[in-house]
Amino acid sequence: MSSADTILKRKRRTLVLLLAPFSIMLSVFFLIPLGIMMVYSFLEPGLYGGVEWNWYPYNYGRIIGWPLNDFEEFEPIYLKIFLNSLQIALMTVICTFLLSYPAAFWVSRMKGAKKNFALFLITLPFFANLLVRIYAWLLLLRPTGFFNTVLQSAGLIMEPLDLLFNNFAVIIGMVYILTPFMFLPIYANVEKLDYSLVRASQDLGANPLQTFRRVILPLTAPGILGGSIIVFIPALGNFIVPSFLGGSKVQMTGNLIERSFLQSRDWPFGAALALLIMASVVILVVIQLNRQAKAEARGVS
Amino acid sequence: MFDKILDSKIWSFLFKGYGLLFLTFLYLPLGLIFVYSFNANAINMAVWTGFTFDWYLTIFGGANSQSSFDAAFTESPARIFDVVKNSAIVALTASTVSTVIGTATAIALARFQFFGKRLYQAFLILPMIVPDIVLGIALLIFFVGAGFKLSLLTVIIGHTTFLSSYVFVVVSARLAGMDTSLEQASADLGAGPITTFRRVTLPQIMPGVVGGFLLAFIISLDDVVITYFIAGVGGQTLPLFILAMMRRGLRPQINALAVLLLLFTFIVAAIGLYLRSRKK
Repeated sequence: MSSADTILKRKRRTLVLLLAPFSIMLSVFFLIPLGIMMVYSFLEPGLYGGVEWNWYPYNYGRIIGWPLNDFEEFEPIYLKIFLNSLQIALMTVICTFLLSYPAAFWVSRMKGAKKNFALFLITLPFFANLLVRIYAWLLLLRPTGFFNTVLQSAGLIMEPLDLLFNNFAVIIGMVYILTPFMFLPIYANVEKLDYSLVRASQDLGANPLQTFRRVILPLTAPGILGGSIIVFIPALGNFIVPSFLGGSKVQMTGNLIERSFLQSRDWPFGAALALLIMASVVILVVIQLNRQAKAEARGVS
Repeated sequence: MFDKILDSKIWSFLFKGYGLLFLTFLYLPLGLIFVYSFNANAINMAVWTGFTFDWYLTIFGGANSQSSFDAAFTESPARIFDVVKNSAIVALTASTVSTVIGTATAIALARFQFFGKRLYQAFLILPMIVPDIVLGIALLIFFVGAGFKLSLLTVIIGHTTFLSSYVFVVVSARLAGMDTSLEQASADLGAGPITTFRRVTLPQIMPGVVGGFLLAFIISLDDVVITYFIAGVGGQTLPLFILAMMRRGLRPQINALAVLLLLFTFIVAAIGLYLRSRKK
């Protein structure tokens, strides 16, 4: 009896020892900072940076439209920038999907070493430095860049095209850095695709398009949704891509956050914007988890 | 039949063509940097005027091409060694510590049952879901408020926190596919928990642990956004140095530096991917 007790006690002690480091670290350097950020977003910005410990909901007011009278003005620009960020993130999701989906089928029909090599080639750019990958697109798109030089020397255009500093350039940059995030979950799903269901659909008289829409697409939907979420999240908060490929013409919420922390030193406002991003992410993740739980429940019943 | 269609001549031809386009999209931009890094043309990189190693040499202070605008970059060969050293210190420390922490946590969750385990699991991967910029500014506010001086130490702390999640996920995946009967046999034969761990569990999960370490190492080495907010003046890493260079304008030296960084990360990543493919 007592030996069973000591074993149990020892087991519990081992468990606590194993879990303690990460738990403490996550609490101190993750949860508490996020909590403080949340508090900051409701504090008054100090005149020379820093914060005044007064209740001040107008950081959000400035964004959404109930400003402090006579002092702060409602600037629809912040909301506009947020909506533009949502739009860019959404376009990024759509483009990475369109690029990755056929590629996943391409790889899934390969065999053996060839398949592994293709997967290796597709995964490798994921490890390239973010800045280097954006830098590459600067070299491609700028007025004296690769595309303009090629088009000009081929005589197709006289003046260099304005390829940089617009939504298009930002979306290309995002797609380029985030494609592996979309490809891998989709591939995991396509790889497992049960072709007997596809055959059954064909035997029952469905044409290829119907089979694709009613069988293949639903079967690979979990991968598409998973990929969409892990592409959308980093795209929404990104400030490096727009600051290089969007210049001063394309602003995203990430740029506003960066500026309010490192230049205008309005930390509470930056914190409020960051929470706006966080809230969008949380909503998305909760919807996805809900969907997953429902799908699992359906699978069991 | 759909699979037959996919494997039919026309479709497999189309897919192959598309696949090549897809790979071109992934590699053309990187290949371009590689080619440009050897282009002697300092004014317009897109026009080839001859082969040179100068850009690589000027990075490291080999100053045989001291044209006027190079001065801004060649002032800093010592600076380059500094930031590379900083990056190495951060990446090695953060990935080592997070490997220990992440592995311990993964083992605890794979081998013990306790109340609220699934919720706790979700909590552990939260740092991977929160956008980098949010994590970066939250840490900045915290460090400044708690009186930390922004430095390499704050960078290491920040990196270790979110890298542990990555290691946890990688090692957990390895543990999930593992047979526990060997551990039981070891215990039945009288080995204590520590011996069992050292002689039985650890060798089996080693590919996962090494894979997690390499992944953490690369992510730390490449990290821009979180480091950007918590590095302060004293903690500049290589990516932050490249960021500053890019803001000053595009120069051929960036090509050379980018190629060196790419080669290094690709080699490390290739080793990691090779280890992962071998375990299956």
